[in-house]
Amino acid sequence: MIEIRNVTKSYDKIKAVDDVSVSIKESTVFGLIGTNGAGKSTVLRMVAGVLEPEQGEIAIDGLPVFDNMEAKRNIYFIADEPYFFANSNAIDMQKYLCSVYPEFAVEDFYNYLVNFGLDKKRKINTYSKGMKKQLALICGVCSGTKYLLCDETFDGLDPVMRQGIKSIFASEIERRGMTPVIASHNLRELEDICDHVGLLHKGGVLLSKDLEDMKCNIQKVQCVFKTIDDEAKAIKALDIMKNEKRGSLNVLTVRGNKAEILAVFATVNTIFFEALPLSLEEIFISETEVVGYDVKKLILG
Amino acid sequence: MTSKSSFLVSMKENNKRRLWVWVIAVLMFVLILPVVTAFVLGGVARSNEWIWEAADAATAGQLVHQKMAEVMGGMLGFSGPVVVFSTILAVISAVQGFSYLYSRKKIDFYMGMPVKKSKRFLVIWVNGILIFIIPYLTGLFISLLIGAGNGAVDSGVLYTAAATFLVNLCFYLGVYHLAILALMMTGNIVVTGFGFLVFCLYECMVRYMLLGYMQEFFDYFTYYGKEEAPLVSPFSMYGKLAYAFSYKNAIDIKYLLFLLLFALTVGVISYVCYLKRPAEAAGKAMTFEITKPFIKVLITVPVALVAGLMVFDRVNMDFNDAKEGIGWVIFITALAVVLGSALIQVIYEFDIKGALHKKRDILISGALTAFIFVVFQYDLFGYDDYIPAPDKIESIAFVPENYEQGTSGMYFDSDGSYLPAVEYAEKYMYLENAGEVCELVKLSMDAHNEDVKTKEDMEEGKYYSYSTVIYRLKSGRTVNRALWVNVEDERSGQLLDTIIGSQEFKKGYMIGTSDNLNTILKQDKYKITASYGNTVYMERMGFEEFKEFLKIYQRDMELANFSNVKNSVPVGIVQLDITEELPWAVYRGASGISKSTRGWDLSINLYPFYEESLGYLKERGYSVDRQLNMEDIASIQVINYNYEAAKKLAEKQEAEGGGDIIVSETASAGRYGRYDSDVATRVYADYTEEDEMREIADCIYPQDLVIGDWDNGKSLEEDYRVIINFKADSDIMKYYGTSASYGFVEGQVPDFVREDTVYKE
Repeated sequence: MIEIRNVTKSYDKIKAVDDVSVSIKESTVFGLIGTNGAGKSTVLRMVAGVLEPEQGEIAIDGLPVFDNMEAKRNIYFIADEPYFFANSNAIDMQKYLCSVYPEFAVEDFYNYLVNFGLDKKRKINTYSKGMKKQLALICGVCSGTKYLLCDETFDGLDPVMRQGIKSIFASEIERRGMTPVIASHNLRELEDICDHVGLLHKGGVLLSKDLEDMKCNIQKVQCVFKTIDDEAKAIKALDIMKNEKRGSLNVLTVRGNKAEILAVFATVNTIFFEALPLSLEEIFISETEVVGYDVKKLILG
Repeated sequence: MTSKSSFLVSMKENNKRRLWVWVIAVLMFVLILPVVTAFVLGGVARSNEWIWEAADAATAGQLVHQKMAEVMGGMLGFSGPVVVFSTILAVISAVQGFSYLYSRKKIDFYMGMPVKKSKRFLVIWVNGILIFIIPYLTGLFISLLIGAGNGAVDSGVLYTAAATFLVNLCFYLGVYHLAILALMMTGNIVVTGFGFLVFCLYECMVRYMLLGYMQEFFDYFTYYGKEEAPLVSPFSMYGKLAYAFSYKNAIDIKYLLFLLLFALTVGVISYVCYLKRPAEAAGKAMTFEITKPFIKVLITVPVALVAGLMVFDRVNMDFNDAKEGIGWVIFITALAVVLGSALIQVIYEFDIKGALHKKRDILISGALTAFIFVVFQYDLFGYDDYIPAPDKIESIAFVPENYEQGTSGMYFDSDGSYLPAVEYAEKYMYLENAGEVCELVKLSMDAHNEDVKTKEDMEEGKYYSYSTVIYRLKSGRTVNRALWVNVEDERSGQLLDTIIGSQEFKKGYMIGTSDNLNTILKQDKYKITASYGNTVYMERMGFEEFKEFLKIYQRDMELANFSNVKNSVPVGIVQLDITEELPWAVYRGASGISKSTRGWDLSINLYPFYEESLGYLKERGYSVDRQLNMEDIASIQVINYNYEAAKKLAEKQEAEGGGDIIVSETASAGRYGRYDSDVATRVYADYTEEDEMREIADCIYPQDLVIGDWDNGKSLEEDYRVIINFKADSDIMKYYGTSASYGFVEGQVPDFVREDTVYKE
């Protein structure tokens, strides 16, 4: 487990990360969401042991990470702009990584290269941006580390590649309990990959939850109440996060599970009632609006 | 703990990224050094083929080998190109090795890897040293093989090569660590370059500034004992080691250890900076925020002061007089403070708009600059007033400038190596009469200060002569001061009589009484030629005769003091040529085969009161009574420059105005004044009558014998020059020339000459 406790980091007196606490469980895909400048990269760089936190602690399986080889052996960090040696090819990178990660899966590495259509002898500086990201991901997956930290790595990957990476993640999670941590500024990029999401904003964590929990605990209902008394009764009984009224039509975002909410509606008279599915985006909008943020502006642009 | 194999694997991987640095090192040392060695040795062999014809095989073989070995030692020994190569390689190696610290992308990659910071440093650091050592040793080995093939290697060459390698390695480490430190303190390659230059030049600049200000503001400052070259610089330490090796043929262990200590210290500081360096410093100007204001102030203050100093030099003014000049200096210094601070701030922020940020730093720099300026201008620490209390002085060296050094003032150490007069005195003069020297110093300084204050022109009864005073204090400190002694002052004269008359002074100043001279005379390797005469007429002395004479002279020297030397004109000189042959340095020149030598000339003035010496010479048939042999003289020409008349003429012409001034005021500058000014007043008189010539001959001395001296003693009349034309059949004509320059001793111009040559309008 990666534990980030009350971590703070500043650049030139500007706080990039302010008192962040997040726990990342093993064998899940953790998505770290936030706008540009929210502190995602800084958090990942601190988790990777590149930066030293000014305050707070970061522990990888209970071990402090900064300049600690035992902890860092469990981590592979793919930066937002992955670096490859000048004039090197995939073979050169494999040889170097083998010298650093004793568990590096050489055979898998070359298989993945073939599967992704990457030429192992071609100079990496002639690869496209997407190809470089693929190579970085392959390097990371094959390093054999338990935690794979990906900073904006999925941005710009085409859907086929995303699907390919997704399936590799799934098999590695299943096989050896790999835990990818993926930072992105785009919520839609992570929707189909992550199990758990943390939202960073202005250096702090707005929320950190399992996606399933979030989906189960928030419901969206649209209905037309028969009378004003029915409406008042329902609203009183429900934990309403958001209520949009368009004429007589009420669109309610309600906290609670579906059965409880349906039970409340069974006690009032409605002319029209319908339970709607919630997207990750809507869940986030609702969750963050509660705490006073307009997540549309923050993440969805 | 790092296992050996993983360390080697890491080194191998690291070297893969440093191939081009290896290529540069290999080109420099493995290719260029042996090729140049082969080329040079080939040239030496070709140019010395004649030796095989000129000498027997054994001698020729030995001579050629010596020449080859000398060249080989030069090739593999201390040399400028190796210093340049090593510096370039050290900087490239340091920057290339740690350049990942400039890039966030690379830092994310490397620091995200499970490799300890210390191990990464060690791998890069060791490789950076191997990049120097392996190609250097390989090139050296190949060069030695080439040398051996040409018969140019002997134990001396091997020793030179090994010693030089050791010094070059320490030098490389020093520069390498300096470059690493510059890199660790900065986050951008351009700023690293600036940083490296600052490290290399900072001490030079501070020393230049301090010495410059001391020179300009302190009346009694002397450069003697002041090191202008930086102390803590691998370059100056290398220079000192090379210099010491050139004359001792051995490494000066003190400097080598100092260089090594410097390299290690800078290396440790670099390593600490590396460990403390935050990853987010990549791309920034400076790594450590806290250093920014200090570095800015530390650079700006001396730069501003140097700018002021340069303006000072430019306007060539006297701060005590010229208020306008000081205004310029203050303006330029203040401007340099603002511009220097602004420029550094622009570099810090990589933004021209940041120029005037951090005004506090500008104020601090300005205040410090002003403080240092004031310290010098008003001598707040009392530099010019300093005279140590006599009871705190262990001994003193009082060193007049160019006093009693005859026609050539050469000093040498016991091993025959050259020493400047002040160094010689520092080593050998231990005056114990501190009270008298201090009294002289006080007297001289008071008089000089008064003259400076009142800005008086030099008046009659005053003649300031420059000296250096070296105080060796009981505390172990040595203090040097310049001094202007009024040699015409009565009390000063009395004190000088005691000081200059002392045995300690003579031992440390008069080369004729030096133990070193006695030592050299005992050694066979020196060829010594002595002669006596008056610089025109010179007679060779036998070596044994000279040694005997020297003993007598050294007894006579005890009689010499300031006053009797000042009031006398030398009767003649004893000149000594000491030559040491360098047997291996045989060469063929236009005049045939020659041997190189090194040698020294020195001369000893003989005064009339050295009666025993003169008596000895006279007894041996040397002419000690007259300066000219009448039988040799064909004619005498006297030239009177009439400088006073020239000056008056110039003043008159200037006062009248109009027309060209044909006589310049500079006519009064002296006998070396402008010739165009001499034309108007110069008067010639030729004498061929024997009576007249004899009268003239009785009161003239060779110009080279009576030299205007430190003591303002007897000198030749400035206005007159006497040219002696020798007879065509005389001996002197054969070995001296057709004529000789003489002069009249002050106040001894015969009346008829004065009348014949006076200027009449």
